[in-house]
Amino acid sequence: MMAPGDAERGTDRLIAALAADVPPIARRYIGRRIALGIAGGGVVSIGLVFALFGARPDFPQAMYGFSFWMKWAYTISLGLIAVAATVRLARPTGGSLRMFWPLALPILLLAALAIEEMARTPMRDWLSMWLGGSWNRCPWRVLLLAVPIFLGLLWAFRKLAPTDLRAAGAAAGLAAGAWAATIYCLHCDEFAAVFVLTWYTLGIVLAAALGALLGPRVLRW
Amino acid sequence: MRHSEAELRAWMTAGLDGDAAAHAALLRALVPLLRSFFRRRMRGDEDIEDLVQETLIAIHTKRGTYDRDRPFTAWLYAVARYRLIDHLRRRRVSVPIEDVEAILVTEGFEEAVSARVDVDRLLSGLSPKQARAIRDTHLDGLSVAEAADSARIGQSDVKVSVHRGLKALAARLRGHE
Repeated sequence: MMAPGDAERGTDRLIAALAADVPPIARRYIGRRIALGIAGGGVVSIGLVFALFGARPDFPQAMYGFSFWMKWAYTISLGLIAVAATVRLARPTGGSLRMFWPLALPILLLAALAIEEMARTPMRDWLSMWLGGSWNRCPWRVLLLAVPIFLGLLWAFRKLAPTDLRAAGAAAGLAAGAWAATIYCLHCDEFAAVFVLTWYTLGIVLAAALGALLGPRVLRW
Repeated sequence: MRHSEAELRAWMTAGLDGDAAAHAALLRALVPLLRSFFRRRMRGDEDIEDLVQETLIAIHTKRGTYDRDRPFTAWLYAVARYRLIDHLRRRRVSVPIEDVEAILVTEGFEEAVSARVDVDRLLSGLSPKQARAIRDTHLDGLSVAEAADSARIGQSDVKVSVHRGLKALAARLRGHE
């Protein structure tokens, strides 16, 4: 053990070393870094969609349809809310879990749309509407596509300072899941609101749960 | 010597703009603050300098997470608090640690707490009766009896108004940050 005098001299030397490297920091640094992490991971996820699943066959025309934009409006709004929460939780002063409340809005809107769609559909078709052709694959694929984005966020967090690691992990997982779902729309040609509400949401929730589980381990600094 | 929130914050923002001298001045000024912060919260003495150094490194490498528009000392003590919790976790000791607002008061940086919220603006969100009761008893230092007389309401009414008003304020502050 060092004598107190040595330790204090060590602190002075440390300060001199740290002060030798003071690059300017951009405003909105956290937001930029998180956006960069998501974009980097997102490029990999887009590559994975095309390589593993292929674009939906009707891709250009689908962009003129309602269901494509309904899905994107849902996943992108979840993604933006999740990013806002992630930015807040990347600061040491953190935030409260109330930040997740705005998620209720897109979920409720989509639920209203699902109910309206089902009201227009004969009851015997409800099951096939709900399960579509890919219910058992959709959540897992969203989860898979979320992995590169989550890794991108982990990279971003190396310069960030979350103190509530579980909440920060959940927010990062949620963001990764929502943007992965957005990317999965390039392949998926399901169109029912109730399908998206159930299976997309399930994939996103799985990603968020995994993030919350891993957060305390992988976000420590 | 003691530095004020405003002084520390000015150094911090200058450092974020790339001013190495200001950054060094900040780190030097933080050393005594951090030493007393950790000394107050730890039993033994031996780890304190380690913790101070770890916290200085964290302040340096994580400085991008400080938002120039927010109180600096709240950010500082949030980092220090995390370093302390992490240190105790590694040594498998568990002790309750106050939240950052309580730390700011203990360390003499109440200004950083109060800077966040303007009292008048906060009180204006309450009912006039509650706002007046809190202002009389907590800001102007009247007794409950005096406050009741001046507002021409009962003493229990004053007490209830203060209690409900403070509860509403606390709820709002938690939502605010």
